[in-house]
Amino acid sequence: MKKDILAVCFVVLLIAVLLGGTEIQSVEEYYRTHAEEITPQSETVRISIRCDTILDNWDDLTPALQSEEFVPQDGVILPETELVLHEGDTVFDVLERAVRSNRIQMEYQGADENSFGSVYVQGIHYLYEFSCGPLSGWMYRVNGEFPNYGCSKYVLADGDVVEWVYTCDLGKDVGGGWLGGRQ
Amino acid sequence: MDTFASYHPAALLGYFMAVLLPAMFSANPALHLLVLLGGLAFWALLVPGRTFAGDLAFYTLLSLMIAVTNPLFSHNGVTPLFFLNGNPVTLEAVWYGVDMAVMLVAVLYWCKCFHRVMSDDKLLFLLAGTASSLSLLISSAIRFVPELKERIARVHQAQKAMGLYSSGSYVDRLLGGLRVFSAVLSWSLECAVETGQAMKGRGYGLKGRSHYALFRLRPRDGWFAAVTLCMAAAVVTVMARGALTHDFYPKMTGLSAAPEALLGYAAYGVLAALPFLLEAAGRCRWHLLLRRCARQDTGGEPGKDGVRWTY
Repeated sequence: MKKDILAVCFVVLLIAVLLGGTEIQSVEEYYRTHAEEITPQSETVRISIRCDTILDNWDDLTPALQSEEFVPQDGVILPETELVLHEGDTVFDVLERAVRSNRIQMEYQGADENSFGSVYVQGIHYLYEFSCGPLSGWMYRVNGEFPNYGCSKYVLADGDVVEWVYTCDLGKDVGGGWLGGRQ
Repeated sequence: MDTFASYHPAALLGYFMAVLLPAMFSANPALHLLVLLGGLAFWALLVPGRTFAGDLAFYTLLSLMIAVTNPLFSHNGVTPLFFLNGNPVTLEAVWYGVDMAVMLVAVLYWCKCFHRVMSDDKLLFLLAGTASSLSLLISSAIRFVPELKERIARVHQAQKAMGLYSSGSYVDRLLGGLRVFSAVLSWSLECAVETGQAMKGRGYGLKGRSHYALFRLRPRDGWFAAVTLCMAAAVVTVMARGALTHDFYPKMTGLSAAPEALLGYAAYGVLAALPFLLEAAGRCRWHLLLRRCARQDTGGEPGKDGVRWTY
């Protein structure tokens, strides 16, 4: 009997730990965060999200996504927007704030779930890695340069310009590449 | 009295492939539902009601688990329900999980039917000539699980009789069960290896050896194969023309109700219901014949010995 009680206690503890580690938010709660007011003293960065390359590779795109609803005609998902920069903000923090305040869908793999030790952005606005050919996915530029870093490891400075761009050719079609090529 | 199982093994094997492949290679929930219903109906005829109900409860639980798991790992879809640790749990992912569960359970049920209908001798008859070791492997693999279950039950009973499960604690019972399982698993694996060696020792698979088999093609096998082929061809053609495509992500496309799609559903429905229909028809015929026999023998009255035929 003692063993049974111990086992039940263990299972309850496990469930409690699991539930304690999960955060459940309603849709309204999640998207509620408004962009902070920009004051003359605040440091800022600018961020944009674009998918122009898909327009040139339309036939490679998954048929389910071939609609204006998912790929805007001009390729702009988020026009250049100015956001307040907090001390120690990474590219991922700014991206998350931008998609939250603009109700843009985003899915990522947490830094503790992969071997790079950094957040990996799988999809933005229903456009996922491999949605447009085997070499497609999301990349980011800071001040026109592709940093060879995970996006949650790159700490931004005042006045930086962040661009998230969708590539269909491993970065070659957006002027970059694996080794941090300049635009 | 198995009507469906009495068809020629080659026709049966072809039928199982024709019914399973379209369901496994499409993402259309209607096809998955049709194949599940067909499999369930046929399985209900093959096993007693109690076994069927027990199976159904287990598979319902399994499908629920699959359906819940998918939205935890897949966050695509335009309709977020709520957010879990910053990632959306979407309606589309939930439906996709349900569809996957239906498909998986359907395939499992059809595999059970396959195992019941295609006995070892049929598989060996079909494949022994061309791929002898493969057919032996398949037949022992299919046999493995039922045999394992039976052996576990036997060892369990023996242990119980020896008084090893006297403790009422659930933990003790669980650990005892695990011990039995690991022992029986290695025993069964050893038996499988020995079976292979024994077959080799008897010259199985050697050149020039013939097989004894009771199966021969009859006209009804031809009809059965023809119906299977026609329906499968219709489904595959409709699928290839893209009339049955269905997407879950990012936005669910409704099920198409175009005449072509309806034709595809109808053909697949007939295909999936075929074993049930044949089996049911066979049983009806059997009962009718029995009744006629009884009437002719006794004029509808109890027999001379006072025993009425029961059927």
